[in-house]
Amino acid sequence: MATYTYTPVPDQGAKAGVLAYLVISCVVLLLMMLFGLLMRMEQAQMISIGALWFYKIMTLHGAGMVGIVALAGAAIMWHFLRQYVDLSTGIFMANLILFLTGVVMILASVLLGDFHAAWTFLFPLPGNSMGMWTPGAAALFMGGLLVIGVGFVLLHLDIARAIISRYGGLGRGLGWPQLFGPDDGNAPPPAVVASTMVTIVNLIGLVVGASILVMMLVNLYVPTFEIDALLAKGMIYFFGHVFINAVIYMAVIAVYEILPRYTQRPWKSNKVFLASWTASTIMVMFIFPHHLLMDYAFPKWFLIMGHIIGYLNTFPILIVTGYGAMMIVYRSGIRWDMCSRLLFVSLFGWAVGAMPAFIDGTITVNYVMHNTLWVPGHFHTYLLLGMVAMVFGFMYYLGKPNENAPDSALDVAAFWGFVIGTMGFTMSFLYSGKISAPRRYAEHLPEWVPYDKIASYFAMLLIASVLVFIFRFLTRLGLASRDYQRASLARSMAT
Amino acid sequence: MIATLSHHPGRSALALGVFYLLLATPIARDWLEASMSRHMLVQMPLLVVIGIIAARLVPGRTQDSLLIRFGGAWPCVIAALFASSYWMLPRALDAALTDPWAEVAKFLSLPFLVGFPLVLAWRRLTLIGRGFVWTNFFSMLAVLGWLYIVAPVRVCNSYLVNDQENAGWYMVIASVLLFFWWLGTLLVGGGVGPDKPDQSGPGRTFA
Ligand code: HEM
Repeated sequence: MATYTYTPVPDQGAKAGVLAYLVISCVVLLLMMLFGLLMRMEQAQMISIGALWFYKIMTLHGAGMVGIVALAGAAIMWHFLRQYVDLSTGIFMANLILFLTGVVMILASVLLGDFHAAWTFLFPLPGNSMGMWTPGAAALFMGGLLVIGVGFVLLHLDIARAIISRYGGLGRGLGWPQLFGPDDGNAPPPAVVASTMVTIVNLIGLVVGASILVMMLVNLYVPTFEIDALLAKGMIYFFGHVFINAVIYMAVIAVYEILPRYTQRPWKSNKVFLASWTASTIMVMFIFPHHLLMDYAFPKWFLIMGHIIGYLNTFPILIVTGYGAMMIVYRSGIRWDMCSRLLFVSLFGWAVGAMPAFIDGTITVNYVMHNTLWVPGHFHTYLLLGMVAMVFGFMYYLGKPNENAPDSALDVAAFWGFVIGTMGFTMSFLYSGKISAPRRYAEHLPEWVPYDKIASYFAMLLIASVLVFIFRFLTRLGLASRDYQRASLARSMAT
Repeated sequence: MIATLSHHPGRSALALGVFYLLLATPIARDWLEASMSRHMLVQMPLLVVIGIIAARLVPGRTQDSLLIRFGGAWPCVIAALFASSYWMLPRALDAALTDPWAEVAKFLSLPFLVGFPLVLAWRRLTLIGRGFVWTNFFSMLAVLGWLYIVAPVRVCNSYLVNDQENAGWYMVIASVLLFFWWLGTLLVGGGVGPDKPDQSGPGRTFA
């Protein structure tokens, strides 16, 4: 039986590349949040930007948010993974350059070319604009996504290479020898297991995504090469869902790596942990049909599979991670600072955010709830209070001046502002969903407007708090790259 | 098989040459070229494989000097990419059936401009380069398959529409199977590609 004891590891500063990723993430996150606020205020009839701008902004907000959280997640993953395997800085930077190139293409397509078919570029909408945008604008948008995808393929290939040369295969990276054989305690650390999982699913997702993007580009210019609309939807949602899911699996590495430093207890890659990650590697690829439950033309078995696997996959990693975090924190005498608070609340946010999806993944509920604001309610909860909280927790960790540095009252207020703002904002989405307000409507019925207004105020609170987080991180950039002890030791450990 | 063959390079080269000639006999050509699927998915890949095996029979040092003469790994990959793309064009298939010179060009270019340079380059490609070539190949093979399936017209004068559709489906299926095979090699470790490089290359795995 393996024994686990905690061996202290020094806190490393971030490489310049990681900081570049994070600074860009701050800027884009803030901008996209402001775009989100504009949309919500438009629905609340507090401003009047018109439907065209609403949909342009919605397209930018969707694509921009998904892209930028992927970038921030990649920065977290890369920062910690690099401490175990030999990663290439060149590839890491190449990904950033390709990402920015793609962003410029997407911005040009939406702002100059008026493309506004949403980030899901659902076939056949991009090619059927009825004169609202040109095929060139649609091609620029899809080309931009393709360029961003190529960057992530390179990054994941590099990670696969590094894990294979250190551990001898991705199966070993997932800890299969320890999972299926006797646990000798030598399973790879959680950061490696998570990165392996993300690499496998994202490589598959990106290859499928690249294929459908190229098919749609062909179809855009030669429409006689017809695409089966159902196939296209399946491929797009497979790619999109895998990619956005993978984001939180990258960011959770911050929890695995940082919380143990606070409590001086190890995060174990034990059999249950390994089993849940291996199970999710497979399941994450089969849950996307829960977006397609209303497409009655899909074969029945396909939808039932989405229903069942959607149920099953809600749990393994979430429970193992939530339970693991509680075990690590319970009676550890952990000292709460901005970093440990944000990381801990992120698990709460993730768990709470997964529940509405679980409910909506039930076919009978789905008939009523899907395409209502219930769905944005779900993913904004787990992305904002889960994923984005992890990113800010990581930023506070990097910038913490020393292990005993106290947090200012402003930061603590911002923390609560963030939690309350996000809960209020997402609950309004969920409530609007409950009263059947559809998603993606620029204009709302008078009955829905009060909730839109409440949501807008909560969103303002949330954005104000995020401003504090970002400001704090930017002023501490100089510290973020240095190596020194950051995590406050648990009270029982501190001398 | 390749490993055992290369213990006797002379004999292997002879066997390879005989196989090459066999493929070029009218009977083999008639049968393989009678359907689009066999033409594109059996005969042409076999020609590439002949180039691959031929290159592996060349001693390592000669391979290195050839590679330098050709300008390095990426020019070889790009040459292979262009040569193979050309033979994906329907009219190239038609030409191979009707014009003997095109047929000769096919028999020469697929082994010597695709298989051979790929092997030379493969040893020098980093793992990322290899992964990139593979992932690009999978997605483009699937897209090509789709193009053949949905093409609104008969793309080859020499083959029927249903043949074209079959070929498309086989390409999609092949692309999926190859992708899973490749992922499998990543999962179980070392990577067991058609060309596992020797220790001198920078990359040791990734098929
Ligand atoms: C202050 C923070 C945010 C605000 C105010 C906000 C607001 C909104 C609004 C109003 C919508 C449109 C809802 C509808 O009517 O369908 C939306 C959609 C969306 N948001 Fe956010 N959001 C925020 C943060 C985020 C974050 C952090 C992410 C991702 C990490 C995100 C991802 C998305 C996505 C993917 C959509 C769907 C777009 C579509 O339907 O095409 N948002 N958001």
